[in-house]
Amino acid sequence: MSHAITVSPEAQASDQKFLEESKNAGLTRYIKRHSKQARITHDVTIICCIWLMISGLFVFAPPLTQLCPQELIFAFRMSHRIIGVVFCAVPLISFFMAPSGARHIWKANTCKWTSDDVMWMVMFFPYLFGAKWIHMPDQDEQKSGQRFADGMLWVCGFLMAISGVILLLGSMVFTLSPGAHAVWLFLHDLGFFLLCIFATAHIFLGAGIFQPYRGGKDINGNKVKGCWNLMFGDGMVSEADALYHWGHWAREELESGENVVYKDKDGNIVEFPKGK
Amino acid sequence: MADKAFLFDTSRCSGCHACQIACKVWNELPSTLELNGNKWSGSHQNPPDVNGTTRLIMLYNEMENPAYTTTGEVSAQLATKRVKWAFGRRACQHCTDAPCSNICPAGAIFVDAETGLVTTDDSKCIGCQYCSAACPFEVPQYDEGTAVGTIQKCTGCVDRVHNGMKPACVSTCQPEALDFGDRDEMIKKAYERLEMLKARGYSDAMVYGEKEMGGLHVIQVLKYGAAAHGAVENPKVSPAVALAGVTKPLTGVVFPLCIVGFGVMTALAAGYKRDTLVYNTDTKDTIILETGEVAKTGTRPADTRGWTDAVFENLPFMAANRKKKGGE
Amino acid sequence: MTSHWCDFQNTDYILHCGSNSSENHPISSKWLNKAHERGAKWIVVDPRYTRTAELADIYCPIRSGTDIAFYGGMYHYIFENLIEPNLADYLKTGKRCDVYNFEYLLNYTNATYILDPEFEFDPETGLFSGFDPENEVYSNHSWHYETEEEIPWTEEQYPWAYKDNVPKFKKPTFEKPKRSMDLSHPRCVYQQMKKHYSRYDLDTVCSICGMDKDNLELVYKTYCESAAPDKTGMILYALGQTQHTYGAQNTRAMSVMQLLLGNIGIPGGGVNALRGEPNVQGATDMGMMVNEHPAYLKWANTTDRKSLAAWLESQTYSAGYYSNKPKFIVSSLKEWFGKNATLENDFGYDWWPKVPSTVGAQDWTHISTFELMDQGVIKGYFNWGMNPCHSAPNAAHVRRSMANLDWLVVADQVETESAGFWHAPDMNPKEIATEVYFLPCALIYEKPGTILNSGRWLQWRYEAVAPYDEAKTDLWMVDQIFTAVRDLYEAEGGANPEPITKAKWDYYVNGEISFYPVTWALNGYRVKTSTFEGNGGKGFKANGLDESGNIHCQLTPGQWGDGRTVVGAEKKGSLSEGKVDLLPGYADLAADGSTACAMWIYSGYYNNSEYPLNPAEQPVGRRILNDEEHGGLGLNPEWAFSWPSNRRILYNRNASDVNGQPWNEAKKLNRWDAKAKKWEIVDVNDFVATKTEADGTVTQVAPDPKNPNSFFMLWEQRARLESYGMADGPFPEFFEPFESPMDRNILNGSLHNPVAFGMSGASKYDSAKLDAVTGEEHDLKDFPIVATTYSVTEHWQTGGQSRSCPALLEAMPTQFVEMSYELAEELGIQNNDDVKVSSRRASVVVKALVTRRFAPFMVDGKVQHQVGLTHHFGFTHEFGQGDVVNDLTPNVGDPNSFTPEYKAFMVKIEKAHEGGVH
Repeated sequence: MSHAITVSPEAQASDQKFLEESKNAGLTRYIKRHSKQARITHDVTIICCIWLMISGLFVFAPPLTQLCPQELIFAFRMSHRIIGVVFCAVPLISFFMAPSGARHIWKANTCKWTSDDVMWMVMFFPYLFGAKWIHMPDQDEQKSGQRFADGMLWVCGFLMAISGVILLLGSMVFTLSPGAHAVWLFLHDLGFFLLCIFATAHIFLGAGIFQPYRGGKDINGNKVKGCWNLMFGDGMVSEADALYHWGHWAREELESGENVVYKDKDGNIVEFPKGK
Repeated sequence: MADKAFLFDTSRCSGCHACQIACKVWNELPSTLELNGNKWSGSHQNPPDVNGTTRLIMLYNEMENPAYTTTGEVSAQLATKRVKWAFGRRACQHCTDAPCSNICPAGAIFVDAETGLVTTDDSKCIGCQYCSAACPFEVPQYDEGTAVGTIQKCTGCVDRVHNGMKPACVSTCQPEALDFGDRDEMIKKAYERLEMLKARGYSDAMVYGEKEMGGLHVIQVLKYGAAAHGAVENPKVSPAVALAGVTKPLTGVVFPLCIVGFGVMTALAAGYKRDTLVYNTDTKDTIILETGEVAKTGTRPADTRGWTDAVFENLPFMAANRKKKGGE
Repeated sequence: MTSHWCDFQNTDYILHCGSNSSENHPISSKWLNKAHERGAKWIVVDPRYTRTAELADIYCPIRSGTDIAFYGGMYHYIFENLIEPNLADYLKTGKRCDVYNFEYLLNYTNATYILDPEFEFDPETGLFSGFDPENEVYSNHSWHYETEEEIPWTEEQYPWAYKDNVPKFKKPTFEKPKRSMDLSHPRCVYQQMKKHYSRYDLDTVCSICGMDKDNLELVYKTYCESAAPDKTGMILYALGQTQHTYGAQNTRAMSVMQLLLGNIGIPGGGVNALRGEPNVQGATDMGMMVNEHPAYLKWANTTDRKSLAAWLESQTYSAGYYSNKPKFIVSSLKEWFGKNATLENDFGYDWWPKVPSTVGAQDWTHISTFELMDQGVIKGYFNWGMNPCHSAPNAAHVRRSMANLDWLVVADQVETESAGFWHAPDMNPKEIATEVYFLPCALIYEKPGTILNSGRWLQWRYEAVAPYDEAKTDLWMVDQIFTAVRDLYEAEGGANPEPITKAKWDYYVNGEISFYPVTWALNGYRVKTSTFEGNGGKGFKANGLDESGNIHCQLTPGQWGDGRTVVGAEKKGSLSEGKVDLLPGYADLAADGSTACAMWIYSGYYNNSEYPLNPAEQPVGRRILNDEEHGGLGLNPEWAFSWPSNRRILYNRNASDVNGQPWNEAKKLNRWDAKAKKWEIVDVNDFVATKTEADGTVTQVAPDPKNPNSFFMLWEQRARLESYGMADGPFPEFFEPFESPMDRNILNGSLHNPVAFGMSGASKYDSAKLDAVTGEEHDLKDFPIVATTYSVTEHWQTGGQSRSCPALLEAMPTQFVEMSYELAEELGIQNNDDVKVSSRRASVVVKALVTRRFAPFMVDGKVQHQVGLTHHFGFTHEFGQGDVVNDLTPNVGDPNSFTPEYKAFMVKIEKAHEGGVH
């Protein structure tokens, strides 16, 4: 980091003290970012999504279809229908269980774009290829790009769910006219196309295949779990990673302290020693 | 083997339904066993259309004969008929450019190389119904409720044809309205029949299937013209189907590109390291743990960089350049 | 039919009247299409525009039941337009006329014969001479010819009849009729006919039939083009002609038309009854009737056939081939009673039951059977392969009659409406005491045997699959019943046991009842050199038979018609014990008891004594398509066997002129080669072409232009334009049906056939007029719509088999009443509505089919509606049920054949408010 700034000596002293105390305590601050329900909903849905994409791919891509025995393809085909139903049902159930969470997600994704947001978005593609050198502007709870990408995933999800259900019902309950059938099939295909881009990008980043999305270090200089922990772990993000990814949001959370916990070097949540 | 074709001559057809039933029987397609479970259509045309258990139906179109007359001079032959009862045959037309086969993702509908007939392999059908959507004749039918969950359409009885037999419907046709053989020969016969019909006063008579959809493998002699016998005039694939033809290759190209991109990104980010940040709520300073330097201050520090600066400030060679420039 | 299915391709003019063959005999279309392609003109005359009409060129609607007016009009047209303008010229020059075949009319028909002076027809009363008003029957005395000379038989002529061991009978005398060779005698058949049909002008015919005059004239003009000597036309008919109170006269009318046009006995001609659906041809051949013994011989009766001698005297023709009848009857008796049949006991003739035949005697025909049940006369009933509670007219009345039975046996493949009559919706099982036995029987494909088509072709069918479940063949069941009954008689005696105990019943191979000895009996064999009744009556033995007693897949080596090539199949099918000396054909039959033959007309169909157990080695089992070697006319002489004598076209002498030269080289069936003095035979000759001398040498018989004897099954050997053989008149005369919208007959003074069965004389049945349920008599005026019934191609008769086939039910799920848009509008009925159709007898609920294919008729200046109903549904069967349409039809019929009048009756139609179609 090169752009260190100069602060007042009082502040510098306070900062040094703060660093010292923190290091001595050996405790790292974490921010609780995703609830258990959110994580389960996400996990089940994306597992379904991945399965649907794979089974769909095997069913719709002739070269893959030809590779497999018919029984397997039939199993893929039938599983596509069953898992498709799960894919649609789980978010719906979750929504009804916690409408406020859904509202929160909606707000976080539809908030007004700041100049930081615009700048982040503009810098995103260069960043992907030059993360080592490019420093991104601070972000709120949802990065602008994240809002766009998540939004696309939501859109794709809805598109796939609706078109999938209509196609399924169209072959079991009612009869679609060939023209209508073609339109729905096209939409399902289009959804798949978009998912291929956005879901894999999401995985690329979210699962920490991309190095910057792997975990940074804790207060003790140890490596922390990466972004995947947010959805597949305990849903918490380390102070350092939070400040890197969602600077504005991290500081807000740290200020309020409401969602902040301390973990020792073994990862156990502990009380911060009072009075020290 | 040369391309084969069915020849259906409406002027020889007596509308006896035998082809429809032979098709069901040979292909072991079920009919309802419920007492009086078949709803009558109100005409001889039962079931009213092809469906998931019926690959071939006879059509019975009844219309007035505009030439009919009861008065005046001694009636000309055909003018004695007050009705035109146009029999038709509704089943797969076995297109040369078969959109169903082109679009089938599973290879379940394919053109039989020996005969040019568009046939099916049930075991491969995945029930996606792209074919139904693609077919300009609305022929392939899917009916999960009664069938095994696969598309049903005329297979051309290629199983029989490969064993030297004619398709089931053809071999059962007593009036010889149906014929089957080399496509060229069927077309020749059709035109001979057409000539005969024209001479007999059927002025709307026509041969159907020679050119449509790149040439059909069902050649029809239509006594009263295409519409009367339920033939589709100028069959065309629905534009919605063309869209489906775009998304697949597009996906096939874009998705690998993405993966390559991700690979490049990962490679470029090899050895990525970053400072560990902590935040001091007392001073509102965001501090670099390792150096103790303050990176930012304030709860919402403004990023004042221009985006080009922000992008290029640290890039290795760019930074060098900038230094050089700055030096000058 | 006089020709056969493949012969349709040879015709120049096709006339369908009373037949919808493309629908109900789909195979007909194959051959008709071939003719059509060759340029034949195709006419359909039918109340409704049928599937056949769609294929044809000309369609002419006709009100049901008015066919004789239509044919009479055609005769009138022929007289006026073809005969009269050209006759004088022909008589003067003798030159063949281009548009009309005078040689045929003068030499091959009885047009020149002079009728009895008492012959008369009175248009005022609608009666011919000879009517007995008290008993309402005709005496045919005055319908005979005037005789020129009486020529008794001589021993030289008929040496076999005079032998000692031939039963004694008074030999016939040939009554040579007087003729008027120039057709000028006022009493000759031609003049009488011309006079008779002078009333049948175009306007009158149109007024009766509800036709358009131009249309009718076009039909007449077109079809009468077939009168040209080198052209042929064929009439195709079916139940639409026969099921009337004058059905036999309809058939006569068609025959007369074909004779006037010179169309019988020539390729592409003929009077062609399209039968076959329920194997009617086989049933009539086999004499499954009260009036005919097997092979069209007459049963013993109580009047002119009460002894063998009486039978021989009344039945033996004085000339022509039926002079051989004594051979047929004696050989038949020899098969019925075997060694018990001797010259001394008239070959067992008196063991035959005698049909009551005095005027007013009890009648045992189809319709009357149920009247006798109703009266409690018939108490037990074997109902074998038919379904009268569905198919008989006034079927609701039939069901009520059957409830009077003590017992009923039904042999069928499925529970028919007759087997389940007691649980019909209108019956109360608690009130019915009839014991019903159901015998499940093998389907046609589950047993070997012959099938006979309308063209008289006998074809062997092998058992395709074993009978289902407990089903047995009819033969097996008959054997069980017969032997049980015989054992009872032998053990306990009884009244008149001889017909049973003396009967020959030994159709066994290896001790099992078998089809093969039956085929030998039908074909005929020499008694002395055969070992029937051997083995203590347990018959023959053979090796190498399967469990069912059959030899499978023993095909004749060579190229078969279906493309198979069979090489070197080992010939099998000899007897290991016993011997049968089969007759080559009926020419070898004798009247002295030395031959036995149950069906003289089939003789020759199964005549290879070397392999009697192998149908493939028999004429009936042949399957060789080599038509091109036999004239290319579709005769196919080596495909199966056509009775009689493998003759494909009956009366084929008529295909050539008096000198034996074909009218048309392309339609040659025979030709007299004057140079070689030899007949060139294409189809087996139906005339005397050769003569076998006493020493065995065969000589050719040259054509005699004066006596071509081209119809040699008749004693006069000329076809009858006028016939004394009918119960209801020598010429077909038009009458209205039993139920008609008319209150007068436009053509004569009698509304109905004065001797119609069920309406007159001893057979006047009230049941046809009464409500089958309530017994009241409704006013016919309340039933203003003409109705007819017909079949659809998807179903077969009463539906026993076709309603058991789900795919057929799917293709035609219901029965319907077809009506015009005009009538539907009048009645406020929409297509597919449930409607109630009622006749005086009953009502049914069916679907309405509103169609342009029916249109109102203009009859006698008034609009007359007609509808048609299909009739394949009933109250039994698993997959498809409906009301029994034959509840509507009247149980009256034809006085000659006793066929009921299904095809014309009156109904009313209203929207069904409750229930709906089952």
